[in-house]
Amino acid sequence: MVDYTFSEEQELFRESIKEFCASEIVPKTEKLENVRCMPKDIIKSLASFELLGLVIDPEYGGLGTDVVTAGIAAEELARADPSCAIPVLYLVETSWGHLLDKYGTEEAKKELFPKIVKGEQIIGIATTESDIGSDLANMKTKISKKGEKYVINGEKMYISAVKEAIEYGGGHVTLARMKPELGTRGMCMFYLPLKGTKGITPTYIEDIGREAISCGGFNIDNVEIPKHYLIGEENKGFYIVHEGYELARGLISLVCAGAASKALENGIAYIKERKAFGREIGKYEGIQFKLAENYVRIQALRELGYKALWTYDRELQGEASRFDVSLAIAMAKSVASKWACEAINDVMQWQGAFGYSKECEDQKAWRGVRSFTLAEGSSEIMKLIIARELLGKEFLAYR
Amino acid sequence: MKIIACIKQVPDTTEVKVDPKTHTLIREGVPSILNPYDHYAVEESVRIREESGEGTVTVITMGPPQARSSLMRCLALGADEAILISDKNFAGSDTWATAYTLSVAIKKIGKFDLVFCGQQAIDGDTAQVGPELAQQLGIPQVTYVEKIELDNKNKLTIHKQTEVGYHILEATAPILLALLPPTSFQPEHPPMSSILKAKKKPFSVWDAKTLGGDISKFGLEGSFTQVIKTYTPPPRCKCEIIEGNTTESAKKLSKILLKHEALITR
Amino acid sequence: MGIEIIIDKCTGCALCIKSCPFSAIKIKNKKAEIQANCTLCGSCVESCKFDAIILRRPKLTNKDLSGYKNVWIFVELREKEIKKVSLELASKAREIADTLKEKVGAVILGEKVKHICDNIASYGVDIIYIAENENLKVYNTNTYNSILTGLILKYKPNIVLFPATHLGRDLAPRVAATLEVGLTADCTGLSIKDGLLLQTRPAFGGNIMADIISPNTRPQMATIRPNVMKIQNPKSTHKAEIVSTPVEIDPKAMRVTIKEIIKTTKTTGKSLDEADIIISGGRGMGSAENFKILEDLAKTLNGVVGASRSAVDAGWRPRTDQVGQSGKTVSPKIYIACGISGKIQHQVGMKSSDTIIAINKDPEAPIFDIANCGIVGDLFEVVPILNEELKKNLGKN
Repeated sequence: MVDYTFSEEQELFRESIKEFCASEIVPKTEKLENVRCMPKDIIKSLASFELLGLVIDPEYGGLGTDVVTAGIAAEELARADPSCAIPVLYLVETSWGHLLDKYGTEEAKKELFPKIVKGEQIIGIATTESDIGSDLANMKTKISKKGEKYVINGEKMYISAVKEAIEYGGGHVTLARMKPELGTRGMCMFYLPLKGTKGITPTYIEDIGREAISCGGFNIDNVEIPKHYLIGEENKGFYIVHEGYELARGLISLVCAGAASKALENGIAYIKERKAFGREIGKYEGIQFKLAENYVRIQALRELGYKALWTYDRELQGEASRFDVSLAIAMAKSVASKWACEAINDVMQWQGAFGYSKECEDQKAWRGVRSFTLAEGSSEIMKLIIARELLGKEFLAYR
Repeated sequence: MKIIACIKQVPDTTEVKVDPKTHTLIREGVPSILNPYDHYAVEESVRIREESGEGTVTVITMGPPQARSSLMRCLALGADEAILISDKNFAGSDTWATAYTLSVAIKKIGKFDLVFCGQQAIDGDTAQVGPELAQQLGIPQVTYVEKIELDNKNKLTIHKQTEVGYHILEATAPILLALLPPTSFQPEHPPMSSILKAKKKPFSVWDAKTLGGDISKFGLEGSFTQVIKTYTPPPRCKCEIIEGNTTESAKKLSKILLKHEALITR
Repeated sequence: MGIEIIIDKCTGCALCIKSCPFSAIKIKNKKAEIQANCTLCGSCVESCKFDAIILRRPKLTNKDLSGYKNVWIFVELREKEIKKVSLELASKAREIADTLKEKVGAVILGEKVKHICDNIASYGVDIIYIAENENLKVYNTNTYNSILTGLILKYKPNIVLFPATHLGRDLAPRVAATLEVGLTADCTGLSIKDGLLLQTRPAFGGNIMADIISPNTRPQMATIRPNVMKIQNPKSTHKAEIVSTPVEIDPKAMRVTIKEIIKTTKTTGKSLDEADIIISGGRGMGSAENFKILEDLAKTLNGVVGASRSAVDAGWRPRTDQVGQSGKTVSPKIYIACGISGKIQHQVGMKSSDTIIAINKDPEAPIFDIANCGIVGDLFEVVPILNEELKKNLGKN
């Protein structure tokens, strides 16, 4: 048996971030209807509580904490903003900041992190394209060398925080093909600045949820980036991008758990008060069965999520293998959105017609959490990863 | 500038509820927190230390082992060292015995300039430990302190709240101040970097033996007051909502008020 | 420790855990175990069906305490007049002294106080101890403590009562610690039981009541919450003996000195803690100007205007008018809460009021849980009509 208790610092941090969320985040969430671009004061708030540099090396202005601590922040932010907009901003900054920290050049890190950590510029992830999601190796965006620079052409779509990067500053960690004939072995990862970059043309669409963070895409038309923006080695991009996805998926599991936990608390308060046929509806077995089932699943999700992040930490310290990490992370994310959606859906159902109206807070949580069946890797891919780890690579579904 | 801040870990009494059917306290899930008045006292002691340019803030508490988390919070807020005074022999302490125990600890710590504490704890609500401690240390006290300004090393200008406003006082160290936060006070939530620093600061645990002092003066044995019974207060009657439109209900309410003895006996 | 679980009798049923207000009992190895934060209040002893918990009270002292007699009160003044709470204390002291067949003493410190002696005597005081000096005009902990403890050591009262005002809560613990005696804070009930003063007070933000005794030390001291004890009818025929104490104070030796006195309260006449009737406004008031309708109502009722924390935070009313956990605790005869939701932090400050009336638009507002009666409606319509109706009938038109 292993001891999964949180350390004293983690417990103190959880207590403190709960208070931070209560005073700095919750009051601001009331004004986030249809905003479609994260307000700058919220980003600054996150920065002031050191949340945008938690896992980044102290040399560049971060704290260098473990990812379980980052997971605590994800869970508490989701409890404070169940629409998941703020948690999404937090988790992409954390995950892709971490990847830049691990594989980026010294020059890029020294240039970008001071501003990222202070909330002055964004870092996110942009791999998806209009026609490409899971099948990364077939993406259209291409990168080629041009003297001391790289040139990129293509497009990205369904990317979070494009508007924030364009307006406030910053860019995204991006993948493109350098040697298309080599498939996954010919892809590069790099940092692509968006604000004021010649050749970037953004477009925006509206997600059905997470209204406070933008969703959109951009055309990339002969955009040049300096050499030091390459992340990792040339043609090795496909292999390292998964480490960023994995951290993001681990954090997402806790975002789902946090948002669903908050919804269940709302539900419990409701069923204790609401009466039908002469008694509180919480006294009916049918309601109690649903409550128990959802509660068990969300607690299990928390356990899966924290264990996955704990495994991720151990791998960073050389005490676990990539296999352990991939499996643990995929397990958590494979059920995260589904179980959270079910729990929140039941909470909405308990509230009857009110639960179906925009007045009900929980529908925001459902719309937010629903995105995680897709974001940072679909639930279907998670199941394939689990199967691959259990059966062996020769059983890979698509080779 | 050596400041000693006395704190207490308390149940969050704003979260405590009474079961409407059995009229007993529902304590499950009531978190333990740093007494909010003490939180202000600690932040102020750190601020005064910063202003004076040198010195230390030592934060102490008499409590059970779990009070450690409140002391850690104080270290994360900027205090320099923490001492947990904990022993089964302290159980049952009233305010006098608590003040005695703290005074022994402070005398053991040595010379000091200021003792800060919160005006009262939100579970006991007595506001007695501060003045009783000041008496045992032989130093003057100011209670209901809202604001402190350090004039020079041992002189202070203090705003003391009164029922109708405030007094501006001048005082010299050593002195004990019992603080209450102004409405503008926003308690700090320490970020992770402060928490990590807190873990590295000196933390001692003193049991009764280490503390010294007269053991017959600790705990229940040393207390002058005894609680012989606790019970939940009788519930208030159910609220009668006055029916009718605005005018009607206002008129009905005026009739109710006019019948009230407070108005009849005016 | 004075409490013990008899392991053989304990069945691990955990009834004691439910009864403990301090979460100081845990189950270990299927038996109850008392934790270090136990306050020895004894709630668990009563709850145990198997008599498995023993609480050993400390022995009663061998000291002969019979020489301590009489019930004293500390008289607090406000600008040379007696504060209302002092009359409450005098009335209660008279009642207790009658039970004990002892006398009532009153201590008055100030610059010139002889003129109020007849007044305080008419509330049942038998002996008045006065100390007059210009340096006593404004309260100072050390000088007041020194004079009071001198009087107590000399005259040996059985009981000394203080008001639970800012002054009383500063002075009483200092005196208690100087004399090394027991002190109970903020009592809402006093009686004599087995010859001892039984002191009842709220704790846990008012969620529980505690009965307390100080069996082994004299005098038994308590601070009393204002506006709770009834004032008896004064009897002008009741006279008191006056004992004057000479006082010498060196103002240069005072380590704490007053530089300035500032008044911020908007209430005229009585202060919040003395008022019989309080009309309080909360977030629903919307602005500082809107408080005028409450001030008008207060004038009609001879009451005082209070405020919730929301109204004070918004800058509409001064801090001194705030009722609640971080403000004042009040117990008026009538408390009218207008546009106040009634969060726990506010309730803590006013729920021991005799009659609570709530006016709020929101029928779910928690204030209705503790109100005697209420109106669900727009306070801006209700309050002016209420005021007019009252004015008509109180002849103030």
